[in-house]
Amino acid sequence: MLSIKNLRAKVADGGREILKGIDLEVGPGEVHAIMGPNGSGKSTLAGVLAGRAGYEVSGTVTYDGRDLLAMSTDERARAGVFLAFQYPVEIPGVNNMYFLRAALNAVRRSRGESELDAGQFLKLVRQKLKLLEISDDLLQRPVNVGFSGGEKKRNEIFQMAMLEPKLAILDETDSGLDIDALRLVANGINKLRARDRSMVMITHYQRLLDYVEPNRVHVLSGGRIVASGDKSLALELEAKGYAGLEAA
Amino acid sequence: MIAPLKQDALIATREAAARRFVLPTRRDEPWRFTDLRTLEKSLFPPAAPGADAPSAAVQAAYSSGAPAQRVVLVNGRVAAIQGAHVARLAERLELVREIDDLGPFAALNTAFVEDGIVISLPAGASERIEILHWGAAESAGAYTRVLVELGAGAEATLVESFAGTGNYFGNVIAAIRLGEKARLRHVTLQDEAGAAVHLGAVKADVAEGAEYEAFVLMLGARLSRHDLVACLGKGARCAINGAYLLRGQQEATIATFVDHAAPCAQTSEVVKGVVDDRAHGVFQGKIRVRSDAQKTDAHQLNRNLLLSPRAAVDTKPELEIYADDVKCSHGATVGDLDEAQLFYLRSRGIPEPEARRILVEAFAVDVVDLVADAPARDYLMRHLGRWLESGR
Repeated sequence: MLSIKNLRAKVADGGREILKGIDLEVGPGEVHAIMGPNGSGKSTLAGVLAGRAGYEVSGTVTYDGRDLLAMSTDERARAGVFLAFQYPVEIPGVNNMYFLRAALNAVRRSRGESELDAGQFLKLVRQKLKLLEISDDLLQRPVNVGFSGGEKKRNEIFQMAMLEPKLAILDETDSGLDIDALRLVANGINKLRARDRSMVMITHYQRLLDYVEPNRVHVLSGGRIVASGDKSLALELEAKGYAGLEAA
Repeated sequence: MIAPLKQDALIATREAAARRFVLPTRRDEPWRFTDLRTLEKSLFPPAAPGADAPSAAVQAAYSSGAPAQRVVLVNGRVAAIQGAHVARLAERLELVREIDDLGPFAALNTAFVEDGIVISLPAGASERIEILHWGAAESAGAYTRVLVELGAGAEATLVESFAGTGNYFGNVIAAIRLGEKARLRHVTLQDEAGAAVHLGAVKADVAEGAEYEAFVLMLGARLSRHDLVACLGKGARCAINGAYLLRGQQEATIATFVDHAAPCAQTSEVVKGVVDDRAHGVFQGKIRVRSDAQKTDAHQLNRNLLLSPRAAVDTKPELEIYADDVKCSHGATVGDLDEAQLFYLRSRGIPEPEARRILVEAFAVDVVDLVADAPARDYLMRHLGRWLESGR
C-alpha cells in the first residue's frame, strides 16, 4: 500500500535536513505506529506524505502503485490519503458541513461517482456520527473555530470516517486529550480499521497503543528509523525511554 | 470640458456648478490613491432620451424579490415609478441644490442632472423601495440625483442597484435627511457594465436619535468610486459596511467621512476588499469627533485580501478626535489567503481553485452578513456568489 524508500526532506531554501533516509513498508490493512522524541522528524514525515509545502524532498514514495511525491496535495487526498492534523486549522466563515460536503464531493467526482445532494449527504453524516458515537453539535459551526482540543481531534476522525481513505496518517491524534477523550478517539480509530485501510499513527506516547494495537512499531530518531518491532517495542520504550534505546 | 447645459429654470445653478467643477488630481488628498488617468476622456455629456428599459429578466436579477415600491431609471431618467411617497425629480427640479461637501462630481451632477427620484416619507411612515439604475449608452452619461427625506420616526429600506451595458459614465448623487428617530437601511449594489465608469456620492444628515445603516457592494465598472458623508446628531447611530471585489484591471474606491458633531452618537464601519489580477482597491475612511461630541463610540476597520502578486490596495483609516471622553478605534489589514487554511482544505481533496474560492467567499460573506434586512442580504449574497463563480 505504502512503500517509502530513502526519503529525505530538507527545509526549503537551504534549511537543515530533517528526514535523513526513511525506509518503510506498510501493507494493506496494517497499522504502523511511529514513535520518537521531539524533533525526530515525525510531523515532517506526516507533512511530506500529505504534500505540505516548504520542503525539498528526495527519495521515492509509492502509494497504491503510484508515485505519491509527484501528486499535488489534493490529488493525494482524492486518491485516498488522509492526514489527521496534529493542529487542525481553524477556518472562520466556512461551515463544517459545507466544507465536508465540498471535500466528499470532490473525492466522489474523482472516483467517477455522482455528487451527493444535501439529503443524501446528511444521511451519511448521521450514519458516521452514530458509528463514532459523537454528537452533531460540531457540524453547524465554522471549521474548528472555538472547538476544544478534544473536539478538534474528534472532528478529524469524523472527517476520516466520511472520506473513507485507503491510507490514514494520524499525526499525534492523541496529544492534548484527557483520558476520556482519548478513549473516544481511539474507539473511533478502531472502528475505522479495515482490511483495505492502512494507518500510520504518529505518537509520542505508548498510551494510544493501549487502545489501538499496531501491527508494527517504529522508532524515529534524528530523521531515521532506528528500531522496528512489534508492539513490545513500544513497551520497551516506555520502560527505558528514547535515550535508553538510542544507547542500545 | 463642460458641454452645453440644459437651458431650463436651473440654468443659473447649473452654470455656477459648471464653473466650480475641476477634475481632481492625485494632489487632492481625497483622491490621492485613485487612478484617474483614464477618467477625463470618460466625462460624457448626458445620454439622449429614448434608450430601452432593461428586460424583465434583468429587472428580476436586480431585485431582492421582496414586496417593494419599484423604480427603474434608464440613463438617469425615470422609466417606471410607483409608490405614494416616491416622485420624479424631473417634476420637482427646484429641489436640486449644490451639495458642497461631496466634491467636484456633485458639481458636475448639478450641471447636468435632469431627472432622478424624490422619496419623502411623512413622520411615522414605513416603506420599502428598490431602485434599478440602468445604464445603456455608448460614450454618454447618466446623471442622477436621489433625494430622501424621512420624517420623525419614519422607517425605510432603500435598495439601489447599478447595472447596465456600454461604456457610459454613471454619476449619482444622493442627499438624505433623516428626521429625529427616523431609520434608513440603505443597500447599494454597484454592478455596472465592465466598460463603464461609476462615480457615486451620498450625503446623509442624521438627526438626533436617528439611524442610518449603509451597505455598499462594489463589483462592476472599470473605474468606480463611492463617497459617503454622514453628519450625526445627538445619539444618532450610523453603520457603514461594504466590500469591493475586483479583478482584471478594475479600479475602485470607497471613501467615507463621518462627522460626529454632537454627543453620544455611534459609528461602526467595516469595509472589506478582495482584489485579484491587476486590480486596485482603495479605502479612505475618516471619522471626525468634534469637541462637543463626548461619549462618541466609533469604530472603523478595513480588511483586504490580495489574490495576485500584481493586485494592489491603498488604505487610509483615519480618526480625528477633539473630544476627550470617547471610545474610538480604527485599523486596516492587507494579506494573502492563509496558506495553512488552504493546505487544510486541499488535504481533504478539495482542488486548489475551489479551496481558494471557499476562503474568499468566507472572507466576503462575513461582511455581507452585517446586512440586517434578510431579502437584501440574500440579494447581495446572490451577486457575490455570481462574482465568485465567474472567476473560475
